[in-house]
Amino acid sequence: MKPPPFQYAAPTSVAEAVELLGAHADDDARALAGGQSLVPLMNFRLAQPAYLIDLRRIEELTRIRTEGDTLVIGAMVRQSHAEHAPEIAVGAPLLAEALGYVAHPPIRNSGTVGGSIAHADPAAELPAVVLALDAELVLAGLGGTRTVAAADFFTGPFSTAIGSGEILTEVRIPRRAGGHAFVEFARTHGNFALVGVAAVVELDGGTVARASIALSGVAPVPVRATAAEEALTGTVPDDASIRAAVDAAVAGLSPAGDVHGGRETRTDIARSYLRRGIELALSRAGDRR
Amino acid sequence: MTTMDRPDAPPVRTHKENRKWVGQSIRRVEDPKFLRGRGGYIGDMTVPGMLHAAVLRSPHAHARITGIDAAEALAAPGVHAVITGAQAAQLCDPLPDFGPDPAKHTWRCLAVDKVRYVGEGVAVVVADSRYLAEDALALIDVEYEPLPAVVDPERALADGAPLVHDDLGSNCAYERTFDFGDVERDFAEADVIVTDRLRWHRSGGQPLETVGALADFDHATGELTVHTNSLSFTSYLFMVAGTMKIPANKLDIRPVPAGGSFGSKLFATKPAVIAGMCSREVGHPVQYLEDRVDNISNCDHHGSDRVYDVRLAMMRDGTIRGIDIDTVEDYGAYIQFGVGHHGNALAQVVGPYAMTSVRYRVRAAMTNKNQQGAYRGFGSEVNNWMLEQMVDKAARELDLDPVAIRRQNFIREFPHFIPTGNVYDSGDYDGVLDKALELSDYKHWRAEQAKAREEGRCIGIGLITAQERSVFSATEFWFWFDEPGAPVTSMPESVTLKVDATGGITATLYSCAFWGNSPETMVAQLVAEEFDCDPHDVAIVYQGSKNGLPATGPGGSRTTVMLAGAVEGATAKIKAKALRAAAHLLEANPDDMEWVDGGFQVKGVPEQRKSLADIAVMLHLFKHSFPEDMESGLEDSKVFDHPYTTMPSADRKDLGVFYPFMGHACHVPVVEVDLETGSVSFLAYAAVHDCGTLVNPRSLAGHIVGGTAQGIGTALYEEFVYDDDGQLLTSSYLDYLIPSAMEVPELKIGHHETPSPYTLHGIKGGGEGGRMMAPAAINVAVNDALAHLGVRVTELPITPDRLRAAIRAAKSRESG
Repeated sequence: MKPPPFQYAAPTSVAEAVELLGAHADDDARALAGGQSLVPLMNFRLAQPAYLIDLRRIEELTRIRTEGDTLVIGAMVRQSHAEHAPEIAVGAPLLAEALGYVAHPPIRNSGTVGGSIAHADPAAELPAVVLALDAELVLAGLGGTRTVAAADFFTGPFSTAIGSGEILTEVRIPRRAGGHAFVEFARTHGNFALVGVAAVVELDGGTVARASIALSGVAPVPVRATAAEEALTGTVPDDASIRAAVDAAVAGLSPAGDVHGGRETRTDIARSYLRRGIELALSRAGDRR
Repeated sequence: MTTMDRPDAPPVRTHKENRKWVGQSIRRVEDPKFLRGRGGYIGDMTVPGMLHAAVLRSPHAHARITGIDAAEALAAPGVHAVITGAQAAQLCDPLPDFGPDPAKHTWRCLAVDKVRYVGEGVAVVVADSRYLAEDALALIDVEYEPLPAVVDPERALADGAPLVHDDLGSNCAYERTFDFGDVERDFAEADVIVTDRLRWHRSGGQPLETVGALADFDHATGELTVHTNSLSFTSYLFMVAGTMKIPANKLDIRPVPAGGSFGSKLFATKPAVIAGMCSREVGHPVQYLEDRVDNISNCDHHGSDRVYDVRLAMMRDGTIRGIDIDTVEDYGAYIQFGVGHHGNALAQVVGPYAMTSVRYRVRAAMTNKNQQGAYRGFGSEVNNWMLEQMVDKAARELDLDPVAIRRQNFIREFPHFIPTGNVYDSGDYDGVLDKALELSDYKHWRAEQAKAREEGRCIGIGLITAQERSVFSATEFWFWFDEPGAPVTSMPESVTLKVDATGGITATLYSCAFWGNSPETMVAQLVAEEFDCDPHDVAIVYQGSKNGLPATGPGGSRTTVMLAGAVEGATAKIKAKALRAAAHLLEANPDDMEWVDGGFQVKGVPEQRKSLADIAVMLHLFKHSFPEDMESGLEDSKVFDHPYTTMPSADRKDLGVFYPFMGHACHVPVVEVDLETGSVSFLAYAAVHDCGTLVNPRSLAGHIVGGTAQGIGTALYEEFVYDDDGQLLTSSYLDYLIPSAMEVPELKIGHHETPSPYTLHGIKGGGEGGRMMAPAAINVAVNDALAHLGVRVTELPITPDRLRAAIRAAKSRESG
C-alpha cells in the first residue's frame, strides 16, 4: 500500500496554488487538503495524481469570520478547529454537531472542512450540512473566483462543480434560526454512516415556518428531503405529521446497498433517522406548540 | 462406551499454600520497552543492503494462469528480481501442510498454474524499496483464463461444483462421522428432539502488526537466517527448511516480537519462505512485511466458517441426553491444519453438561477463499456458540428457565470423562454461575427487561455457561485418520534458568518471542515464586531456533501451564545442585537442610545459611572448593512434555485425553436491540471465569477483556465477505469492521479459582475464554430481547441487514 511516484509542491497563497494547478493541468494535478481521504486512496493506488499541490501552508484559507449574517469558513480550517470554534457554535450549530461525527478526533485534527466538501463522499457529513444550510462554495481559478450554491455543487459520487484548475477556498453559510440537528447511523463509531440526517426547523407560534432537511448516504450525492420539508411546513408538528413527512421523504428514496446494508435496511434506517433528526431539531426549535 | 482401558491419570498434586508471587497482579515486565517504542518489530529492523519484497495478488477468485510477462517489471528502476509462481515452484517445495493428503491440494508460497482465491500471490518483486517494488508490480502482465468460482461450502460439496483442486476429484477434503456413547438409545428415549440450523460466518484475528520476515541467505555457508514474528517454529523447524530445500541445521529462525497474533501468526510460514527465497536469489537480505490488504486477503489464518445442522435429545424435565451434530466447514482453498479445529470442538463438545452421547459428522469443503488457520478459540468457540443456542432453544421449547436448565445438567464430579474420551480435570460450575448471577445483577436486569418491554423497548439478557479447554495435545491433529502420517504425541515447552555469579536469574524462552500477552511477566512471577526473588529482577531472553530446545509455543492456551512445568523442572535441577554446594560449604548433611527465603539453611539453625548469591558466586568462580564431580556454573534446562495426554482408541470411539485442563466461564451481556435499525448495543456485561489458579489476575482480566471485544466483533461486526463470484468485499478496515472502545462496554469481571489437580499450582490456561464465550452470549441475549416478537437469529455476525430481515419476516408472518 504505497503510492506511485508523484511530484509535490506546497504553495503559500491561493494565487500560487491556482497558478500551479493551471500549469500542471495536464499532469492530473490534485489539491491536497488534510489528506485523510486522498492519501489512503493514493496508497491503495485508486488515485494516482502525478502532481500534488499541498494547500496546508496557505494561511489565508485557515480563517473563520463573520460577514453580517454569513459565516465564512476558509476551506483549510481543520475540522477539529471548526468543531470547537465559538463562531460556528453560534452561526452554524448544525455544522458543529455534524463535525463530531466525522471519523475520529485524530482524523479531524488533520482533516479540513473544505477537504471533506470537495471530496464529496456520498456518505460524508459535511456535504449534507452545506446542502441543508443552503451554503455557497467559493471557487478560485486562474480567471478569478466564482460562487456555486451547495444545491448545484455536488454532481455525483466524489465529483463536484469544481472545475479543472480551480480550488475550493471558502464555505459561506447563511445564519439560520430554528432548531438544528445532525444525527447519523454508522455501524461502528467513526465509520462511514449508512444514513445521515441534517435538519433545521424554524417554528413560528408552534407552526413550522421553514424546514430544511438533507440526507447523506442514500443517493450518489447528498439530497434534500424536499417532500418532508413541504409536508412539515405549515403544520403544527405532532407524531402524525412527522410520520407523514418521513413517509413522504422515504417514498422518494432508492439507496444503493452495500456490504454494510442492503437497500431495504438503508431505507428502514433512513426512515428511523429522519424521524429522529426532525424530532431533535424540533425539540431545539424553542417554541414548539 | 470406551473401547479401551483408560491409562492412569497423572498423580494428583498438592499445591503450595501461601504463595508469594503467583496470584499477584504485578506490573507487567514487558510494558516499559513496548510503551517506549523499543519493542523492535520487523518493520523497525534494517540491515545493510536490505531489499524489500512485494507480492502481486490475484484479482480473480478462480482462474487459470496462462502467461506471465515480467520483462517490463524487471527493467523498472530499483528492481532486483521478479519471481513468478512457476519459478518459485522450482526454487522451493510446497509449504508445510498438516492437512489430509496434502499432495491432492498442494500449497505453495505463490500460485503456479491457477489461482484459487482473490489475493493469492502470483509473483514477487524484490526492489530497493517497497515503493519501487509496488511500482513494478503494476508492470507485471498476467494472463488469466477465469474459471467459475465456488464460495458456498454446501454448494461446493454438491455434484457439478467447480473443482478447487482437480487432483482431489471433489471439493470434500475430509469427511467422517464419529459416534461417542450410545447415540441411538439417547435419541430413541428422548421426549423431545430440538433441532436447528446455524450459520457462523468467517472472521479472523486482526493484529496491529501484520506478518513479516527479514531473511538473509549466506551463499558462503549455505545458511539461511530468518527474523520473523511468526510463532511456534522450534518444533517444526525442519518443515520450513524442507520447503527451502536446505538442511534443517542450516536454518536459524530468530524471534522478533509479534505485534499481536490471536492465533493468526501461529506457524505463519509463507512470509518467511518468500523472504528466504528472494534473499537466496538476489544475494541480499530481503524484508517482506505484509500490508493490511496482503494480510486480510492472504494471511492463511481466516477463522471458522461453519454450517450446522444439530439435533439435541432432551427429556421433558430438562435433562440433556445427547447431541447429534452435522457440520460443514468452509476451509477455503487449502487446509493447512486439517480439521484440527473440530478436535478443539470435540475436547468440550458437550460443554459443562452431563450428556452421555455425541454424534459428530464433519465435512471439510474446499472453496475459492483464503484458507483457515488459527483464531482465538480454534473452532471450539464455534461449538460453544452452537451448543448454547441449542440449550437456549431447548429451554424455550420446553418452557424452562434458562438458568435452571443449565444448572440442572451441570457436571459435578471430577475428573470427568466426556463421551469423546477427553477429560475435564476439575470444575465448579455452580460456583461460577452463582458468582455471575450476583455480579451481573441478573434479577435487576430481568425486572428492567420487563419494564422496558412495556415501553416497547427490547432488552435481552444472554446468560451462557461454557467451557474453555486449555493445553492442547497434538493428537487432536491426527486422531481423524486411522493411519495418521505423523502421530506426534508430545508438545514440549522448554525453559533454561541461569543463576549468575551474583545470584541474578535469567530465564531463556524458546519457540518465539513476545506475541502480545504477558509471557515474561508470567515466567518472572513463576521464577520469583521458586527462588523468592523480585519478579522485576528476573531477566527474560528469547532464543532462536538454531540453539533452541524443543518448544511448541503459544497455542491452545498452553503457554502458562507448560512454562510453569518447565520452570519447576529447571528450578528443581538448579536447587539440587545449589543444595549440594551449600551443604558442602556449610559442612552439613543435605538432608538436614531446607530452602528458606532465597537460600539453603540448616533446619532449625538459620545462621547456618547460604543465600543463592553466596552459592552462585562460589559455583561460578571457586570450582576447586567443591568435590571433583561438580562443574562450574549454575544453569539448567527443562524440556517439559505435555503432562496429561493419552492415545485414542484404534476404532476412534474414544479419542483419549487431549485437552485435559478445562476452564469454565459464565458470561452475562445485557443488550438492547433497536428494532428500527437492527443495531445492538450493550447496557451491561458481566463475565466470571475459572481457569484454575491465577498467576496474574490483571493480565488474565486483560485476556478476558480483549477476547470479549473480539467476541463482540464476531457476534456483531466482523466478517470476511466474499460475493457470489468470490470477490472479497472486505479487504480493508473500511469494510471489515472491528469494534473499538466505543462499541465495547466496560466489563465487570469476576474470577473463580478451581485448581487443576495435575499442574503446578493448579494453573489452567485462560488465553482464549473471552472470545470463546462472547459470541454465544450475545446471540442468546439478542434472541432473548426479541423472543416475544417471534424473532430468533441463527447466523453470526448479527448485522443490521440480518436483524432487520428477521424482524421484517416476523412482522410479515404476524400480519400475514
